[in-house]
Amino acid sequence: MTGTALQNKAKPLLDGTLQLEVTSVSAQTDSITSITFGGALGELLPSYVPGSHLVVQYGTGANAYSLTGSGSAPTEYSISVLRIENGAGGSLAMHALCVGDLVQVSHPRSAFAPAATASHHLLIAAGIGITPVLSHARYAAEWGASASLIYVHRPGTGAHVAEARQLLGPGLTECLDRSSFQEVLTRQLTTQQLGTHLYVCGPNAFMDSVLKQARDLGWPKSLLHSEAFSGAALDDGEPFEVRLARSKVTLNVPAGVSLLGTLENAGLTVPNMCRKGICGECAVPVLRGEPLHRDLYLTDQEKDDNTTMMCCVSRSLGQELELDL
Amino acid sequence: MSTVINEAVRDADVLPERIKHFPFPFSGDIYRYSANVEPSRKEVSTEAGAWGGRLLHIDEHYLAELKDRDEVLERDPSRLQVLPHMRPAVWDAICTLLPALAEEYPDTVSFTREGDLCRWRNSLQNLDVEFTVGDDSSLPMGPLRFLGSQIQDDLVFLDHRQDALWLDAGVVTFAADWSVGFDVGMKFLEVHHPVPRVKEEKIVSRAEQFLMRLQPGEQYRRTNWTLTIDRRLDTSTETYPNWAHDRMTIADDPALPDRLHLRVEIQHMIRLPHSGAVLFMIRSYLLPLRDIARVPVWRQNMGRVLAELPDDMAEYKGIIHYRKAASDWLLSA
Amino acid sequence: MRTASQSPATGAGCEPGFRGVICVSFATTDALQDHDTGGMPRHDLRFAAATPEAIANLRSVLGHSRVGVRVVLAGPPADVHAAASVAAECGLVDEEMTLVCDEVGPRVIFCGHCHTSTTTDHPIGTNVDCQGCGTTLIFTDHFSRRVGGYLGFSAHAEEAA
Ligand code: HEM
Ligand code: FES
Ligand SMILES: [Zn+2]
Repeated sequence: MTGTALQNKAKPLLDGTLQLEVTSVSAQTDSITSITFGGALGELLPSYVPGSHLVVQYGTGANAYSLTGSGSAPTEYSISVLRIENGAGGSLAMHALCVGDLVQVSHPRSAFAPAATASHHLLIAAGIGITPVLSHARYAAEWGASASLIYVHRPGTGAHVAEARQLLGPGLTECLDRSSFQEVLTRQLTTQQLGTHLYVCGPNAFMDSVLKQARDLGWPKSLLHSEAFSGAALDDGEPFEVRLARSKVTLNVPAGVSLLGTLENAGLTVPNMCRKGICGECAVPVLRGEPLHRDLYLTDQEKDDNTTMMCCVSRSLGQELELDL
Repeated sequence: MSTVINEAVRDADVLPERIKHFPFPFSGDIYRYSANVEPSRKEVSTEAGAWGGRLLHIDEHYLAELKDRDEVLERDPSRLQVLPHMRPAVWDAICTLLPALAEEYPDTVSFTREGDLCRWRNSLQNLDVEFTVGDDSSLPMGPLRFLGSQIQDDLVFLDHRQDALWLDAGVVTFAADWSVGFDVGMKFLEVHHPVPRVKEEKIVSRAEQFLMRLQPGEQYRRTNWTLTIDRRLDTSTETYPNWAHDRMTIADDPALPDRLHLRVEIQHMIRLPHSGAVLFMIRSYLLPLRDIARVPVWRQNMGRVLAELPDDMAEYKGIIHYRKAASDWLLSA
Repeated sequence: MRTASQSPATGAGCEPGFRGVICVSFATTDALQDHDTGGMPRHDLRFAAATPEAIANLRSVLGHSRVGVRVVLAGPPADVHAAASVAAECGLVDEEMTLVCDEVGPRVIFCGHCHTSTTTDHPIGTNVDCQGCGTTLIFTDHFSRRVGGYLGFSAHAEEAA
């Protein structure tokens, strides 16, 4: 995760955010700044899985940034942010942070975890894509796991180069241009011991190209990992309206609030148990509209029928839904 | 009806703790498998009291059960399994569960951590130890055995890879008729292969999807149940020849109400924060039918559940030979 | 049918860095004779059974192979499962392995009581005596890929006095 803007306007769906203080700000390169957040008392923060990201709120937006530590019993969370002049504004907001500023951040979320069974971790990063793989490299060093890194950056613009050198020693290959990278990549993709896992982070086109070459050279899917934001967790979803046919009321379901929560807030009692789309308790009958099914309970056929939905996680594809409640 | 309620109310005041905190699993007269998963630490009230307010629960059997576990492990070390890649997950569980226990029982145990150096004190065991996270030799009995000596739950660790969960470590001394020594290294679906119905009903595949989506820090739980003859926690496959015979004789034993126990497992599922492994905790509670019968609604629910349970489920649970005797005793009275 | 003496009998000769298809045949199977490697180079191994030597040999071949390799294992279930377990230990994932088990032939049954593995020709659902503790086991279809065998438990424990 290199600072992808989240689509949501509102505050992201988080099970409790943390309020942290900026404890240090330091320039990595001309355009990359490292920012460290800590608790007011320097207390332990939740540990995280290497390769995790943090959602940091700024103004009305929120951005996800990879954490660069190993994740073991941290007292600080560190991110490194590339300044993007004409982006959505998140990176500029991050670059404007000063020591002592308070920020709201999510709990770390894991979507790019190392494989515990790997016999070797082959890390591949381009530019700011170094951030999550640096986290992997630190974890490997802590547990004595075998790891190497191919790091592509333009001369003088590489963030965390000194740390990468120190962590990986001869396991680090720096590539300062495309053709030398291609040569190194081909060699490495064809000489890895069995059980090696590959992790890539960088611009999308870069990741796609590395993954495609690996697949073409016979790498099975389950050995390939790339930092993709989707799938880590259900997102907030879009707001929609729900009409309750029998009670004759219409409710607004805001982004980040579940349909179940909305019904409960309106005083309705809906049976529920897991609130996570698996137990099947919270089924509600749909009269009109097309639900956005996000549960694990209904069969594909039932989902296609659009006559029932699990209101704890599912939402609406259109602006309005009508329920038989 | 009203007399039943009065009796229950009167009795509840004098019911012993073991009945009050017992996680009675039936909410009606019919039991079927389902994806009965819910967020943990939410207290559930029962006819007799309540259970489930915490993740870890120290009860009156604490020392006895831990002694039992220790003896089982001495006799049969195969009840503890750690495939090499699960070492970090085991340490992660130590750094998660010991502080959690300290938070729930601050007067009994305490945990402090400075960097990787930890100190653990347990007044119930007169224990004061220091150890270093990641250094197996700093806990002489080994990290997982140590953790298993502090909490009554059996522990199972699952690695998430290749779009599946793999049972790759555990300390399981109180298994309800399965073998961790055989199951270690299996995928979640393979582990559940012997369970009837769940494949057709997609319960287990849904459960696996759910568990794979758990985020670090999230905690869920479910209950499961069976019947156990005598207060025997170790009913693993390994010792099956020692206890299987009781299944044939209990129906005719006049001591059935005292010997036959409802065994309820509170199973917690948590995603460990640093290793990302899924930790499955199994805490087993045993209550003899005579105690169950002290709560009239329980007596009736359980009696009817046992009578109605389909044969394939009763056979799988190993209760087919005596569930009728148990049900008859509960429902007569 | 190709006889054992005509096939390469050892794992030696697989060049370091091999990324083709390793075809491993146990006992007399000829299932891989016409195996389509999709144009990838092929390396054949043939063993009478999954003996410790054969397994060591397979390990060494896998140790010299590189990601991109595929392994196909054919023969009696007991041998194929033992080899698959070792291949998994060497880091191979399901996508990299193909198992071609004979429909009949010896299988391994793991005693749930003493953990000894007994090899038997009996079919699933029948009884087998454990070679470790002598218990008569019922042979179930509960399979462990790590053990390479099926769970067995005492067939008569419930009746026993
Ligand atoms: C998270 C880790 C879990 C592990 C390691 C686990 C393990 C097991 C094991 C070892 C058995 C005994 C199988 C045998 O006979 O050999 C079992 C039974 C069963 N499991 Fe799980 N389980 C897990 C989670 C779940 C979940 C989430 C569900 C459902 C939502 C579930 C549903 C069942 C059912 C219905 C049975 C049959 C129980 C009975 O009738 O006594 N399990 N499980
Ligand atoms: S509450 Fe469980 S599926 Fe909605
Ligand atoms: Zn045996």
